[in-house]
Amino acid sequence: MSFRDIDEIIKERKDNFLLPMLQAIQAKFGYVSETNAHYLSRKTGIPFSKIYGVITFYEMLYTEKKGKYIIRICNSPSCYLNCSLNLIKFLESSLKIKSGETTKNKKFSLEIVSCIGCCDKAPAMIINNKVYGNLDENKIKKIISGLK
Amino acid sequence: MQILKNSNFRALSKIAGMKPEEVIELVKKSGLSGRGGANFPTGLKLEFTRSSQGEKYVIANADEGEPGTFKDKLILEKNPNNVIEGMIIAGYAIGSSKGYLYLRGEYSYLKNKLQKVINNAKKIADKLKIYFDIEIISGAGAYICGDETAIIESVEGKRGNPRLKPPFPANQGLFNKPTLINNVETLANLPLIILDKSWNNSFRLFSLSGNITKPGVYELESGASLKKLINLGKPKNKIKAVYFGCSGGCLPYEDIALNNEAVKEKGAMLGSCAIIAVDEKHNIVDVATNIAKFFEYESCGKCTPCREGTMRVLELLEKISLKKAANEDLELLEELCRVINETSLCGLGQSSTAHITTALKYFRKEFTDKLK
Repeated sequence: MSFRDIDEIIKERKDNFLLPMLQAIQAKFGYVSETNAHYLSRKTGIPFSKIYGVITFYEMLYTEKKGKYIIRICNSPSCYLNCSLNLIKFLESSLKIKSGETTKNKKFSLEIVSCIGCCDKAPAMIINNKVYGNLDENKIKKIISGLK
Repeated sequence: MQILKNSNFRALSKIAGMKPEEVIELVKKSGLSGRGGANFPTGLKLEFTRSSQGEKYVIANADEGEPGTFKDKLILEKNPNNVIEGMIIAGYAIGSSKGYLYLRGEYSYLKNKLQKVINNAKKIADKLKIYFDIEIISGAGAYICGDETAIIESVEGKRGNPRLKPPFPANQGLFNKPTLINNVETLANLPLIILDKSWNNSFRLFSLSGNITKPGVYELESGASLKKLINLGKPKNKIKAVYFGCSGGCLPYEDIALNNEAVKEKGAMLGSCAIIAVDEKHNIVDVATNIAKFFEYESCGKCTPCREGTMRVLELLEKISLKKAANEDLELLEELCRVINETSLCGLGQSSTAHITTALKYFRKEFTDKLK
């Protein structure tokens, strides 16, 4: 296995900032594997335990492969008051997974998240950096079927 | 809106002819205070950080995570120039040449646009011989990183656990160097203060959401009436309560002045001016359980009262919801709330129970109705 991508990422971050390096590795591979984390640790001198601690601390860093589309649906008060729970149930039943899981074909991951700052479009969700607001079941159906 | 007036980097040419101390004096005179919710006088913070020795940093806190708050997003979307210009002004005032914009992960779709603004600002500042570099650091989804010391830990590449204060960031912040940390809205006001003598310190951005049909950011004077704001939101049903984000607690809906003093007198906190309206169709115990889930999930785990307490609070609220709780459970909940508030390390834990304390003060019947 080649670690050229990771070498490149380390070279670009001369200041050894861990969070941006992990984000870059994840952008490349979709997650930070144990092998890659060990390699990063060896090359930068940052202890593996610290790297693992940081990955698991942040909700948006992953230690395992996620779906092509990561659906983050908000359940904080503004969305909750606008019936986000029904939409979460709807997503779970249409994708046949629970929150925190990934579909077998690795297409979708579903996450219930804290406020995404879209309270003016509640209920809202973010799929791979794109915001979808004022949701209802029909809208969600259309959005999901539009993702190839 | 005053905050959306684009200063277009004109304040940079003006400060280029001023001494840093003069810039600080101007900010002090303006009366600007921290708009992230803590209201600390900005001019003083600048002065404290300037008087510290050595290399210094500026951090723009764009980790807007308080549920119900989305005013900083509006500024970053509609008027990013002022935020970046504000960072450079702050850097010039304290004597720093390096700034980090800590952008919450959920807002990373704004990153490219902000980078362009930074590149443009750099060219203009360089010509004026104001040397200041800004780098965007993306957060990765942690509410706690809105805390100023947790942000520092996060930029340093650690878990975002808050630090004990003192030492304060103005003395020992990022990499143990003096660091100025300001909220997006605070920074965006700096160029306006430099340029415009008629700048009005009393304007606040209210993020209004919940059971209303016209949610959004409304700029009103501090002390404006809550009724006026709620009416702007055009509620469909009768409003029963308002929550000041998750951490500010709740009040029954009545007409009060929206300023720190009036809200505090009622037992809640205005904080970052998030107003979440709750209508009569919702039960307060359900809302409390939803908010308790948020804190249980977002607690960073560093200190015991918050880590264990938020979990037990949630358990008790779920027990009440399921009508399995007795009066002793309610008493236990109140005691637990007090302990968490008094003994947690940082603002997250300390404020995590305000929504329950205020709900029990004003909507106690909704809790006792569910006791077995």
